[in-house]
Amino acid sequence: MKQIIAIIRMNKMNATKQALIEAGFPAFTVRKVVGRGKGIVDFGVIQGAQAEAPEAIARLRDDGPMLMPSRMMTVAVADESVSKLIEAVMRANRTGNGGDGKIFVLPIEDAVRVRTGERGTAAVN
Amino acid sequence: MPTMIQSVVRPEKVHEVMKALLDAGFPAVTKMDVFGRGKQRGLKVGEITYDELPKEQLMVVVQDGDKELVVETILKAARTGTKGTFGDGKIFVSMVEETWTVSSGTKDA
Repeated sequence: MKQIIAIIRMNKMNATKQALIEAGFPAFTVRKVVGRGKGIVDFGVIQGAQAEAPEAIARLRDDGPMLMPSRMMTVAVADESVSKLIEAVMRANRTGNGGDGKIFVLPIEDAVRVRTGERGTAAVN
Repeated sequence: MPTMIQSVVRPEKVHEVMKALLDAGFPAVTKMDVFGRGKQRGLKVGEITYDELPKEQLMVVVQDGDKELVVETILKAARTGTKGTFGDGKIFVSMVEETWTVSSGTKDA
């Protein structure tokens, strides 16, 4: 079993949900997070604010890359489904620009379905 | 092999920690608001017990070789005073098998 953590753009959530359902992964957990990547941020987007509050912008720059709101999606799947899931997430989210997101694959020891008490892969399938 | 370092820190320290990470050369961080309690079973002020204290959780994924440096950086920035105190937080390290970048569609080395 693997846990897949995908950090994606806010506005790609619906497309990703659709893609996952089509690929046969209905179950996932999502939460709102903020984060930054390797630091390629286009400060052009805040130029409007710059005219009104230059000191705020200066502080933003001082603190390094801006924190962008994004969604963190967590899915637990069987080993053989990992590549299929990664494909689906990437197809739905790729715009080709920096900031599209990251996908992490982590091993998990065990999983339990609370309703039936099933263990292991049976609990995530 | 990449490694995921999750740290739970004080909300008032999160800014400092993120600045320290940036200065140490680790710009990529994900931050989320969390609530929780630790070994001290929360915080007791007079008659009232707070057992869900607000914290910030930071998630960093780095190469295995950088693990010690990142943990040191977070420890140094998140500690209150020189000795530290209860409630300063925890750091958890877990292994990551693969990381993928969505924009390029490639698996990171």
